[in-house]
Amino acid sequence: MGRAALVLLALLLLVGCAERRESGGPITLVFKHAKIFGPADPIPGLLREFEAAHPGVTVRSEELTWTSDEQHQFYVINLEGATPTFDVLMLDVIWVPEFAQAGWLLDLSPWVTRQELAPHFPAAVAAATWGDRVWGVPWNMNVGVLYYRADLLAKYGLTPPRTWEALVEQAELIRARERDPKLDGVLWQGKQYEGLVCNVVEQFWASGTALFGDDGRVLPDLERAAGALAFMRGLIDRGVSPGWVTAGDEELTRRAFGDGHAIFLRSWPYAMDLFEQPDSPVRGRVGIAAVPGHVAGAAGVGTTGGFHLAVNRRTRHAEAAVALVRFLGSERGQRALTAAGVALYPTRTALYSDPVAVGAHPNMPRFHDLALTARPRPVTPYYLMISTTVQPEFSAALVRVKTPRVALEHARLRLEHLLAVR
Amino acid sequence: MRARARVWDVAVLVLLAVWATPFFWQVRTSFTPDSELLATNRALPASPTTIHYRAVAERSVMPRALGNSLAVASLTTLVALALGLPAAYAIARLPVPGKALLLLVIVASTAFPQIATVSPLYLLMRALGLRDTWTALVMANTSFALPLLIWLLAGFIREVPIEVEEAAFLDGAGRLGVLGRIVVPLVAPGVASAALLTFLASWNEFLFAYTFTATEASRTVPVALALFPGVFEVPWGDIAAASILASLPPIIIVVGLQRWLVHGLVAGALKE
Amino acid sequence: MTARQRADRRAGLAFVAPAVLVLAALALYPGLWVIWLSLQQRIPIFGIARFVGVDHYTFLASDPRMWNAARVTLVFAVVSVTLELILGLAAALALQRQRLGRRLAVSLLLLAWALPSVVTAKLFEWLYHPSAGLVNVLLGGRTLNWLGDPGLALAGLIAADVWRTMPFVALLCYARLLTIPGDVYEAARVDGAGRRAMLTSITLPLLRPVLLIALLFRTLDALRAFDLMFVLTGGGPAGTTETLTVYAYRSLFQTLQLGFGSAIGVVIFTLVRVVAAAYLGVLRRAGATA
Repeated sequence: MGRAALVLLALLLLVGCAERRESGGPITLVFKHAKIFGPADPIPGLLREFEAAHPGVTVRSEELTWTSDEQHQFYVINLEGATPTFDVLMLDVIWVPEFAQAGWLLDLSPWVTRQELAPHFPAAVAAATWGDRVWGVPWNMNVGVLYYRADLLAKYGLTPPRTWEALVEQAELIRARERDPKLDGVLWQGKQYEGLVCNVVEQFWASGTALFGDDGRVLPDLERAAGALAFMRGLIDRGVSPGWVTAGDEELTRRAFGDGHAIFLRSWPYAMDLFEQPDSPVRGRVGIAAVPGHVAGAAGVGTTGGFHLAVNRRTRHAEAAVALVRFLGSERGQRALTAAGVALYPTRTALYSDPVAVGAHPNMPRFHDLALTARPRPVTPYYLMISTTVQPEFSAALVRVKTPRVALEHARLRLEHLLAVR
Repeated sequence: MRARARVWDVAVLVLLAVWATPFFWQVRTSFTPDSELLATNRALPASPTTIHYRAVAERSVMPRALGNSLAVASLTTLVALALGLPAAYAIARLPVPGKALLLLVIVASTAFPQIATVSPLYLLMRALGLRDTWTALVMANTSFALPLLIWLLAGFIREVPIEVEEAAFLDGAGRLGVLGRIVVPLVAPGVASAALLTFLASWNEFLFAYTFTATEASRTVPVALALFPGVFEVPWGDIAAASILASLPPIIIVVGLQRWLVHGLVAGALKE
Repeated sequence: MTARQRADRRAGLAFVAPAVLVLAALALYPGLWVIWLSLQQRIPIFGIARFVGVDHYTFLASDPRMWNAARVTLVFAVVSVTLELILGLAAALALQRQRLGRRLAVSLLLLAWALPSVVTAKLFEWLYHPSAGLVNVLLGGRTLNWLGDPGLALAGLIAADVWRTMPFVALLCYARLLTIPGDVYEAARVDGAGRRAMLTSITLPLLRPVLLIALLFRTLDALRAFDLMFVLTGGGPAGTTETLTVYAYRSLFQTLQLGFGSAIGVVIFTLVRVVAAAYLGVLRRAGATA
């Protein structure tokens, strides 16, 4: 019995200790990144270039899981534990304050100066800094935009709508005349996930309110916010948006629009490259406009988004890792993003007027202007908690389980309780 | 009269087969090519294929997960037996001080909802640095498998006639020897069945595994299945194949054990 | 006490100690720790660990999401268990009369119970697919969105759970029925009793204790159920299938509020204990009068 116990104990100890061998000599950096949309992937080429410039360093790239929420979960679980299984990570901008506060990111301030960050979009720089220190290198810019079928609008002599009310009018007019039962009015992301929060927040801004007031109060103007939510629900009730948008994410809506089944789509810049693919049914027929505003509200403003590159604080190869993120964020690294077929947009503003880049992506100047006026979602370490708290409430309002007013009152209740932690 | 009985027998079999249809539908799906998946007006696929099984075996984390599940379930069973057999024997035969309280505590701990203990256990695993290891899962699974195992084994041991042990004592054997050499062989079928049930419970366990595992290093089958990757469209065929593979050990155990389940476990437990 | 008795006592302690220590460390201690956690505002990733007393509980008392989760849990438990008992009993009675192919019949029955809950969830997710799912196909090609429609999701979840757990009830009843000697029915038939009378005066009374036990176990399991709803619907759409367990888990590991989530866990724990105590009281009284 004693012997058996010892054997068992030994077994348990053996399996409990994962093998963690230090790699002496040549350095291998592990770079964790999300799947890159679009037909072309710039990462392998960039990594090989970096390796060539830094002999002795190899970079292994590993793909993350599919959805943003799962990626976040992966990072939280892995960064919380002690073992650094990756050195460089690609972060959604909304996670930077959270990861910085949690002490998971290497403070890049000693290496990356404000001057080095100056060529990037101000919004991207703001998202890369927290508490006056630099935590990430801006890499990829995103902004919420409105896509429209230029051919259909031209056919009826319409110009891109500046307000949602105009959009609804246009959509109903076109649908009535086209008589295509499979043609929907406007598609947007209404599934219960982060994308929904982007859409709702844009509607809040268009209605002249926001999720947080300037003084930090939660939902300072509940009536207007409820009106915004009610408007979104109204899009479905009126048939301007199909019922399935409440289960729609970026890809589902992008595909439907890309197959020619919708007049308008609210989405991100990456979709444009996919619409311009040779085999795309809507090639050459898609226009870009700013996200609409509301008649009795404010002008339309898209949310910013994107990805930054950061270094795991527990990396064993800080110098090499920092060199990698600086390389990827440099002019050379970001220029690779502007190659044809890559559906990522850089954060360096100069590239948006670069002739080669614009040649490959004719819409870049337009995205540049839209990105300059865009607003970020609340920048706080608690953003993920805030988002996962309000998502069910927004969703409940959209699927008619609660009225918008009640849903927002509940949201306010929960947020105030959550944030009492500060 | 006999014909009527036979009709009844067949009818019951058909009804039960209908009840099991969801499972058979998944088997069917696992052999259906993607092109036919969304067109479901046939009972059987027109051109069955093993492509999903191959995809699961070659390109998914399922093989690794199957290995992890096998290891964790086996280790859990071994540890639970090592701890549970002596404890069950003591409860059945020996004067343990505070036995009544002990039994109450053991039975009460089977009622602990996993959701209540997962947060402290999470902090514990984190503090011990056991995140993403087999050890964490074995510990967590043992915590809920052990009470039931002790209860079952105590019942079996009580059925061994005490005279057999008395005879061994007269021959000069110690308690441990009696347990190992006399009692265990006599209750071996019961122990084996209880061990298989423990294996089954550990194989099927999801909540702790989902919480404590982070990467494929320790991910078990239920978690791998729940996190099955789907890029644009959900790969129903692959998921079906993975599901069937995940179900094979439990089905073999339960169907193989059914006689014991019916007579041994249930009838015995109901006698209490 | 004789030397032998002393040796026995020592042996008893030694045999029981390892198991007790393990259970104490991994079950009992966490059972107490979770209460302590529930009195804190605990967010590990930010290193926040602050005592807040019964703050979480006062919030939960008027938390709409909490009451929704409680309602969903209750509806789920009551409807699910009722259906399981009725169908399980029917299946056991059918099996009792089975002459040929009993082994096959029991195997078919146990298939549903053997599967891991995650497998069942994926199974039903596919069955409920709006266009390709077998359920909609059998309903005549309708495109009901079982898991996405707030009015349908809970029903879909309950159906999946009943499918999975009915065999357990059937097994319990069937095992009990096997212990009833055939002579009892023979004697009744000789006395001229019809099948219905045999059912109501012999079978059901003998099954009553088993049904009560099944009711107890299944109710406790239903209150604690997590795997199926978490994987099948994630508590959605819009919280219509969010049970207390799912609410607790999301608070714990999605918003990483270990203190708040633990409070919900303690609520569940208490609910389970109260229900168990109530049932055992009823059982004892039923046993006394039987």
